[in-house]
Amino acid sequence: MTTPPILDELTSKADLPKILMLGWEFPPVINGGLGVACHDLCIALSKYANVTMIIPKSNPDFVVKNLNLIGMNTIDAKTLRNIGHTDTYKKVKQVHFIDTHLNPYYNGNASPHHDLQNLTSQYLKTVKIGDETAEVFQIDDLYGGDVIEKVTVFGKLAAKLALSLDFDVIHAHDWMTMIAGMEIKAKTGKPLVVHVHSLEVDRGGPQSKGWVYQVEKHGMEYADLLMPVSNFTGHIIHDYYQIPWSKIRPVHNGIRPVEPFKSAPMFKEKMVLFVGRLTRQKGPEFFVDIAEKVLQKDQNVRFVMAGTGEYFNPLLERAAQRGIAHRFHLTGFLNLDKVRKLLSIADVYIMPSVSEPFGLSAVEAVQFGIPAVISKQSGVAEVLNGALKFDYWDINLAAAYILNLLHDPVLVENVTQDAYKDLENISWDHAAKKVIDGYNAFHLIPEMV
Amino acid sequence: MPSVCFYFQVHQPFRLKRYSFFDIGRDHFYEDDEKNRLILDKVSEKCYLKTNRKMLELINRHKGKFKISYSISGVAIEQFEKHRPDVLQSFVDLANTGCVEFISETYYHSLSFIYSKNEFRRQVEMHKAKIKQHFNQVPKVFRNTELIYNNEVASVVEKMGFKAILCEGVDRYLGDRTPNFLYQPAGTLKIKAFLKNYRLSDDIAFRFSDRNWAEWPLQADTFASWVHKVAGNGEVVNLFMDYETFGEHQWEETGIFEFLDHLPMEIMKHKDFDFKTLSEAADMYKVRDIYDVPDYSSWADAERDLSAWLSNAMEKEAAGRIYKLEEKVISTMNPDLIEFWGKLQTSDHFYYMCTKFWSDGDVHKYFSPYDSPYDAYIYYMNVLADFETTVEEALQDIKPVKKASRKKEPTT
Repeated sequence: MTTPPILDELTSKADLPKILMLGWEFPPVINGGLGVACHDLCIALSKYANVTMIIPKSNPDFVVKNLNLIGMNTIDAKTLRNIGHTDTYKKVKQVHFIDTHLNPYYNGNASPHHDLQNLTSQYLKTVKIGDETAEVFQIDDLYGGDVIEKVTVFGKLAAKLALSLDFDVIHAHDWMTMIAGMEIKAKTGKPLVVHVHSLEVDRGGPQSKGWVYQVEKHGMEYADLLMPVSNFTGHIIHDYYQIPWSKIRPVHNGIRPVEPFKSAPMFKEKMVLFVGRLTRQKGPEFFVDIAEKVLQKDQNVRFVMAGTGEYFNPLLERAAQRGIAHRFHLTGFLNLDKVRKLLSIADVYIMPSVSEPFGLSAVEAVQFGIPAVISKQSGVAEVLNGALKFDYWDINLAAAYILNLLHDPVLVENVTQDAYKDLENISWDHAAKKVIDGYNAFHLIPEMV
Repeated sequence: MPSVCFYFQVHQPFRLKRYSFFDIGRDHFYEDDEKNRLILDKVSEKCYLKTNRKMLELINRHKGKFKISYSISGVAIEQFEKHRPDVLQSFVDLANTGCVEFISETYYHSLSFIYSKNEFRRQVEMHKAKIKQHFNQVPKVFRNTELIYNNEVASVVEKMGFKAILCEGVDRYLGDRTPNFLYQPAGTLKIKAFLKNYRLSDDIAFRFSDRNWAEWPLQADTFASWVHKVAGNGEVVNLFMDYETFGEHQWEETGIFEFLDHLPMEIMKHKDFDFKTLSEAADMYKVRDIYDVPDYSSWADAERDLSAWLSNAMEKEAAGRIYKLEEKVISTMNPDLIEFWGKLQTSDHFYYMCTKFWSDGDVHKYFSPYDSPYDAYIYYMNVLADFETTVEEALQDIKPVKKASRKKEPTT
């Protein structure tokens, strides 16, 4: 069912700008931080705008106040009839699809086996409504199967749906929705804003030039305004995608407030914590090198890595080779509660990311009052004064920072207190205002009186 | 007949190197010789030599009517002695004109008054000797590090024999009074206080090159006209600033040297105005009121208090630790250790640790040789950890002599 907007009874929202958001992950269907970020940004924006969010898959029971949430899997017959038909997509039967098992947050170089204009798909279901037929998005796992096909089908359906909607600006999140964004802009002439949470260049390294990179490049070229989650990502967009700075306006992420707590330590040694996917982008191998350096000076430290990924086994081997396995722990995947449990006992948080568009996990550590040692190659370094910062390759400096923190309570107190002050400026409301400011600065929405 | 009193502060600290946790116990060389040398050379070329030449020229041109005062920290003089004797000589040349006064401060440009009066007096005496050695003057006027001041500083300094002391003209203590008279520090008998006129001083030191300032570009005649407004309601116009204003903070391209070149003439165009050294002005003018400063003030940052050095936990910890060492360091009787202990007291070390990220953070960042206040603190504390061990070892070396001789007794 489509969820009608629940308007705040006290305020008329008729005069507010109308945003058509295009998302991929969304609660309660989440993989990583993108869904949470989109959700929280939408909620914050709904104070300043009418927001309609189209996502591939939603749970009909999941209702968000002030947000018109449309899941393409749950769209009803009435809505479909209202959408009507367009001739843009002609069905061609003789197309084969191959599952690529592409995950946008893993490194992958896939190519599409189909083109946008001529599309049929295992992810499309034709339903009959009276004399007419309509297509419904059949999607199970967001990232399993052929993701390229999924995002393409999503683009087609979202574009069709958008024709029946009233909005001022299209706001797409990351490459999975860029095709949809481009389609809608082409059909409606409405301005396209692309919110950049993560890029193929972050995930796969600077040499990435595959299909996803191409989608990102075209999408960002075609967009009227880009909102990367940091200046750091803005520079990547500029340097690796050749997009002019004039249309890049960074909007730093916010964070949900939490109630931090402390737990009894699990072991007598101090604990240094890493939370994140074990992929190239997060620099997990540097964590092993740093741990080795620290242990040369101080044996009373344990190093814990929470997360999973393709580096899991190599990291285990690396730690064993260095002879530090007795002080090195890989937990595998942990749910939020367990991550928080670790945060409640950690002494130092480390984020040695090679290329981190934002780095929300460091802010979560700060919320728990843990001093954070973070790489300068991260967006969060721009908003956290209260943190010790190093170039991800400078393992000596990172190790020395950790040692100083472990041996100096005054330093810990000062860093964490400063970081608490930083938290005041890291909010989704702040981000939402910057989004609206960006629309206004680029004249993408009607001027407000 | 109002007098313009120029006082310039000359100071360069011995900056510490990026002394890592891994260096503790392994490396006993703490200073960043290369960076210190580099900065000294840069400032010498851009400011000291050029400005001293200009000052000498102005003194000669105005036939002794242009007079100025300096304070040069002991650690700055040391660096001139070692690396830039030419700069030191140019200050000696100025001293020889008879139009230039050198005043007193703590040798290490330190916060010692706040932590140890004994150490404070030791450093003032050291500095006095240094000034006498090079400039053949015995300072009669005192200024504490960065104009850190309160009634107690004035009292202590009076007892040490100084006839005048410099301080900031702080609005919250002045009320609606003008800084353009000499004042009697509350609780003192004879010593006179010079209050910095921060508006006029900062017009030169901070706003001169600010293109967003309504008065930009500031000309000497305009500035002189502001000074002349003091006529009738003031006897001293105290223009106090860092000497590095000329050529370093305000680059030559801003026209600061042309401004300086014209300023004495423009000011003396008004026949009631002249220039005096601080001692001359102190002798000439009477105090007109009491200046009561119960809490510390200074000329630093917007707050004009101690917060530029002692506002966060790191600064307090670092400063507390270094002064706590006093008894041990002195009892080593090791001149090298005592000297280095003094250098670690230089206020700049704490200034770099300041975490006022949102107000005056930019100024602190400009002066800091490090990437962050945390780095400043970490390197300082690592050095201190190594230094403390060295001090402990030196004390052990003194005591075991007795112990060892006792142990030997039974065998002999």
